[in-house]
Amino acid sequence: MDALEAFKKEADMPGEVERKFGGLLEKKWTSVIRLQKKVMELESKLNEAEKEYIEGAPTRGKRCPTEWIPRPPEKFSLTGHRAPVTRVIFHPLFSIMVSASEDATIKVWDFETGEYERTLKGHTDSIQDIAFDSSGKVLVSCSADMSIKLWDFQQSYECVRTMLGHDHNVSSVSFMPAGDFVISCSRDKTIKMWEVSTGYCVKTFTGHREWVRMVRASPDGSLLASCSNDQTVRIWLVSNKECRGELRAHEHVVECLAWAPEAASSAINEAAGVDNRKGAHMGPFLASGSRDKTIRIWDVSAGVCLILLTGHDNWVRGVVFHPGGKFLVSASDDKTLRVWDLRNKRCMKTLEAHKHFCTSLDFHKSHPYVISGSVDQTVKVWECR
Amino acid sequence: MNLCTIPTAVEDPEGDQRWMSIHNRFLSETREKDADVIFIGDSIIQALQHTDVWNEWFAPLHCLNFGIHKDQVQNVLWRIQNGELDHVNPKVIVLHVGTNNHSNTPEEIVNGLTEIISIINEKHNNTYVVVPTLLPRGQYPNPIRERLIQVNDLIKKQISQMPKVEVVIIDNGFVQPDGTISHHDMYDYLLLTNAGCRKAFEPVYDMLLQLLNEDEPDRELTPTK
Repeated sequence: MDALEAFKKEADMPGEVERKFGGLLEKKWTSVIRLQKKVMELESKLNEAEKEYIEGAPTRGKRCPTEWIPRPPEKFSLTGHRAPVTRVIFHPLFSIMVSASEDATIKVWDFETGEYERTLKGHTDSIQDIAFDSSGKVLVSCSADMSIKLWDFQQSYECVRTMLGHDHNVSSVSFMPAGDFVISCSRDKTIKMWEVSTGYCVKTFTGHREWVRMVRASPDGSLLASCSNDQTVRIWLVSNKECRGELRAHEHVVECLAWAPEAASSAINEAAGVDNRKGAHMGPFLASGSRDKTIRIWDVSAGVCLILLTGHDNWVRGVVFHPGGKFLVSASDDKTLRVWDLRNKRCMKTLEAHKHFCTSLDFHKSHPYVISGSVDQTVKVWECR
Repeated sequence: MNLCTIPTAVEDPEGDQRWMSIHNRFLSETREKDADVIFIGDSIIQALQHTDVWNEWFAPLHCLNFGIHKDQVQNVLWRIQNGELDHVNPKVIVLHVGTNNHSNTPEEIVNGLTEIISIINEKHNNTYVVVPTLLPRGQYPNPIRERLIQVNDLIKKQISQMPKVEVVIIDNGFVQPDGTISHHDMYDYLLLTNAGCRKAFEPVYDMLLQLLNEDEPDRELTPTK
């Protein structure tokens, strides 16, 4: 025994060797496996990146704002939400983006560094949609708790106003281009317009026969477009609340809408087969995505569908035009993002984006980034080249 | 008196009111989500949502899972009479319940199921009800298994005759030749493992695909360019 003690002393081994080093070998063993898994993940990412490179995607230096499109692998995969992500949007000026989730929180992230910045709490149920005004000073959000909230984005990041009036889940919300009014739509089948300065509901648009999914104002602010479970897209005159048109062709719930930027007119006209200046469609143009797995692009003034894009294998949940006007990007429950070449009416790129339904996406107006949100609770940032 | 046909909320002997909390959560899900398929029933249904099969097969079909551990027929009856199917418009409802009705006869259980289906029909007359047969349980042969076999016979005889109802047989292949059930299929001799789930729910998945795609035009089978 003495010998043992002396030996321990010599080796500088204090008493509880067993306890300290017990299980160490097992830990090492599992860490090897964990590292192996990490290595494999990184290798597959590298493969993707190499494939992109070999396929001739332009390098960062040579990319051009009218041509760049999102390319795999993702730049960041951000976790933090505790339930499906329902909407992701870019801030109009700063390098931040905002995500909304069924966990009733809104989170703010820096999309250039991938850093989490803050969480906005106040809603008591799933948040369905969020939007900035054009200055990015105010954020609006709507929720299944039937409320619409305005959040100060200059200093306090606090809820400055809560607007109540819908009788059911509020599914979408957006600012009018001038920023003085907010528009919202709900499962109560109505669309409402709210004055930002007072919080009063000033207009109600009725006509949809079912749950209204999304509402968006045209760039000049004279029209609203809305889509619904009744499978139609409706166009409303803001001035007198009149429904100016009903766009029918989708065969299932219409989930999402996007007004085309001015720059997209020539590509859309070319796709529609109009070759000379005379017969050109004047627009404005609107894209809609539906549970019938298709995307349609409409000439709103003529009330006709010009382009049909098929390829997604499940519900289409988000559509956004490329700022350059040549492409459209969509998000779907088939877990992919797709880039569509408008001129040729074909899918030119598919990104296996998420492990579960892709619920939303946004394209930055000037920086080379696309963001996507998913039921897998992550937000991903995609760099464009 | 058949207790299976009397809607009953679960008593709360532990006093933590979990059952009612779960029911209320389901109600809020009906207000937000627009599911094409609703799974409703007992622990078999509840456990399903934590399997690979759920993520791989069922989640992409836009499903809600209203399974509650240990629920009996009369509890599910109470839940659907208290709002769980009120603000939804599913194309298919999958119903699996009855395995926990230990104090009822097979006839009573099947009458209870019939009652549930007729209420579903009242609320949603265009919705299909898919009724998988009840799964065997217990490592060794036992009286409960015997009773479930009788229930399944009655389901095949009576329930499969009802309009807009599809009975799917899922209980084959679990009892091995020596009469035991493997823990590779049911880890606690009741709930399914990933492998067991794949075996049991593949026919249900096929049936759902058929029912959901009924209205879709057949795609042309020409090879893509």
